[in-house]
Amino acid sequence: MTDISRRGALGLLGGAAALPMLGSPAFANTKVTVGALNFTSHAASFVAFERGYFAEAGLDVEFKFFQAAQPMAVAIASGDADYAVTSITGGLISLAEKGATKVIGGALTEEKGIDGQKILVSDAAYQAGVTTPKALDGKKFGITQAGSSFHYMGAKIAQAEGIALEFTPLQKVGAVIGALKSGQIDAWSIVPHIAKPLAGSGAVHIIGNVADYIPNYQVTTVFTSANNAANERAKTEAFLKAFSKGAADFNAALVDKTTGEADAEDMIKLIHKYVYADKPYDKAKPGIVNGAMRINEGAALNTTSVQDQLDWFKSEGLVKDSVTMDMLVDSSYVQTM
Amino acid sequence: MQLTLDAVSHRYADVTVLSDISLTIPEGQIVCIVGPSGCGKSTLLRFLGGLERPDQGQVLQNGPVPQGCLNPLTYVFQDFALLPWRDVAGNVSLVLEDHGIRGTKAAAVIDDVLARTKLSDFRAALPKQLSGGMKQRVAIARALAVNPAVMLMDEPLSALDAQTRELLMDDLIALWTRAPFTAVYVTHNLSEAVRLGHKIVVLSRRPGTIREIVEIDIPLTERHAGDPVLETHQARLWQLMREEAEAADKELGHV
Amino acid sequence: MSDNTHQNPQPVPFRGGGFRPQRIRGVGLAVFILLIAFVEWGTRVGFISNLTLPRPSAVFATFQDLIETGMLWKHLLPSLSRLAVGAALGVTVGVGVGVLIGLFSLIRAGLVPLVAALFPIPKIALLPLFVIWFGIDEGSKYALIALGTFTPTVVATYGAVDNVDRTLIRMGQSFGLGWFSIVRKIVLPGALPGILSGLRVSIAIGIILLVAAEMLGAQYGIGAYILEAGSLYDLERLFAGVVILSGLGVLTSGLIGWIERRVLAWRV
Repeated sequence: MTDISRRGALGLLGGAAALPMLGSPAFANTKVTVGALNFTSHAASFVAFERGYFAEAGLDVEFKFFQAAQPMAVAIASGDADYAVTSITGGLISLAEKGATKVIGGALTEEKGIDGQKILVSDAAYQAGVTTPKALDGKKFGITQAGSSFHYMGAKIAQAEGIALEFTPLQKVGAVIGALKSGQIDAWSIVPHIAKPLAGSGAVHIIGNVADYIPNYQVTTVFTSANNAANERAKTEAFLKAFSKGAADFNAALVDKTTGEADAEDMIKLIHKYVYADKPYDKAKPGIVNGAMRINEGAALNTTSVQDQLDWFKSEGLVKDSVTMDMLVDSSYVQTM
Repeated sequence: MQLTLDAVSHRYADVTVLSDISLTIPEGQIVCIVGPSGCGKSTLLRFLGGLERPDQGQVLQNGPVPQGCLNPLTYVFQDFALLPWRDVAGNVSLVLEDHGIRGTKAAAVIDDVLARTKLSDFRAALPKQLSGGMKQRVAIARALAVNPAVMLMDEPLSALDAQTRELLMDDLIALWTRAPFTAVYVTHNLSEAVRLGHKIVVLSRRPGTIREIVEIDIPLTERHAGDPVLETHQARLWQLMREEAEAADKELGHV
Repeated sequence: MSDNTHQNPQPVPFRGGGFRPQRIRGVGLAVFILLIAFVEWGTRVGFISNLTLPRPSAVFATFQDLIETGMLWKHLLPSLSRLAVGAALGVTVGVGVGVLIGLFSLIRAGLVPLVAALFPIPKIALLPLFVIWFGIDEGSKYALIALGTFTPTVVATYGAVDNVDRTLIRMGQSFGLGWFSIVRKIVLPGALPGILSGLRVSIAIGIILLVAAEMLGAQYGIGAYILEAGSLYDLERLFAGVVILSGLGVLTSGLIGWIERRVLAWRV
């Protein structure tokens, strides 16, 4: 369960930064809590855990599962989780501004040629002629919360097309799906492993790709508490190394498909322990394969994309104007692009 | 109009409260009913006004009602039963409205009864501003407003202090003298009974039966506190009631 | 010594003090101010981290920004209209049903279990259902607030009708008042104090539900503003929103108090 002492550390955060480095590089079986969603996009962590890369790096990893991205950021800030992978949200930036969290690496990226996030419309809207993103002018675009990645994507699409969208906050992914299916909202954008089965049912239609509007979009990033980033360098490096190994295995097996059918099958079985675990393997498989988007080699971070996202959050007044890239990102750990 | 109780008996669950009561209330007289607690005095009064039905026997009314009578059998309650959200005039007007008496006609009636009960200056007062005695005068004014054939008074002075009670008894006597009304007056207070009653009916303890009917033929206006004849009557009534009251008291202890 | 006691009468010691609540002005306000000053000091000195609590002066500045940019009204007006329409619906139907339950045994037997079953349901749980039934726009929000205010109003109303002094009803009957007159002139005014105090609870629940109602599909509104602030982890806005809700609560409570003083002046 929760490591209580980390909670206490949060209150002392300001003071802790001034303390001399306490972390020692000689560590084994260091307890580490990793926040995750049960999505294929979090596969790198699952692979690193299952294939023992975390253990090799001397980390005793325990997963803590969440239902949405924003609560993970709060859990990192409160010390309930050490590392997590999720999209850049207004909440994450605000917490970074308060000196609680830091982005230390990149994970999922939109890449031309690899199936990425899809733009969906409801059947009613489709029948009414909304067959291209351009036709979405004045339509209801579903988002979970203001400042979520959905909000960013919708805004970027609207900007590129020169149209206006009405953003409808629905709090949870499940609620957005329900509202889209029943035609309460007109459009949404989501990762392919959710988009494709929905479109297959005929209740919604895919009318475009997010990658066409936001090229090289750094969808998710690896982040941790500011304390870990500043004072637990060895532990953080160990985590990123193991994570990168998991990412490399994943990319090779399912994105680049260079390691053959058998390895791909093994990889899908491994991920199935965490994703769609409630479905039989045969039904889960297409969802996992569909969701395979590239996870950056070496957890490299696309700072241009991060800068663009940060600028957008600022321009919308969702975060303070005073936030800088330095507050949000600690670029000393990974290669940046 | 006269009221007659004909062999009335009544039970609540398996307790007989009244047994074989026959009594006539003659027109123009005040009949007092006295008896120990729990003897069924109030139940008897509810039968007389038709608020409750006896198990056995009948309640009969006989003779014409007075001219302009709106509600022949009218109660005056121990706790006044005034609407706290209506002022004095409003409480009186309440019982006129349903009979289609409004406007100037109602105002005339209200003026009249308030004058008779010496409340003219308090038309616009709310019940919460009035003393207990004043409240009961409002209730009496309200009863007079419907020009009743029979007034059914259920311990009307019991909630008041001794001095106020004396004053109100004088008021009741004055009202009766000006225009004699028929009334049944239930009380456990013997001095009230001898001051106001033309006839005093003594009930026994439960099951209530009529023990005795005492008639006092001194005119109401000539009765005063401390009158030796009244004292004698009161002492005799107490003789009759004492045993019953004692027994009733012990009985209640068992319940 | 003992001889002297006869010559020196001592005052009887007083033993009757205390145990009597007294009205002391200004202390409540002082507690408020002290608490806020303490937080302000704590956040400035740094022993309250900016993750734990926002700086009160920053909340105040956020609030001022809200007023200056006109966003306050942009958020407040939709919320107020949702609260007004939803609560008006819920309270009106609630009082009507409550009176019917109070007056008719058959309706009581039929509806009291239903109301008891509805009462403990967290109305938020029904929000997705309402979205399907009434649409994602204002309809579902009205419905949520209406249902939330309906149940406490019904319970308060039939309780109030039950508590109307029976001797007054007896009195009405003994004077030959009609059934409808008794209801209109005795039962309803007699139940009014209970209905109004029930209204305090209902409206407070309505304000609580405002936040829930604005979870789905609201771009503007105090609830949406608070939810947005929460998801952005923007504590200044979160607290500014909470202060607005508290203010709304104090305001409606004051309004009901004012109505009570006017309409229920007859109460002892």
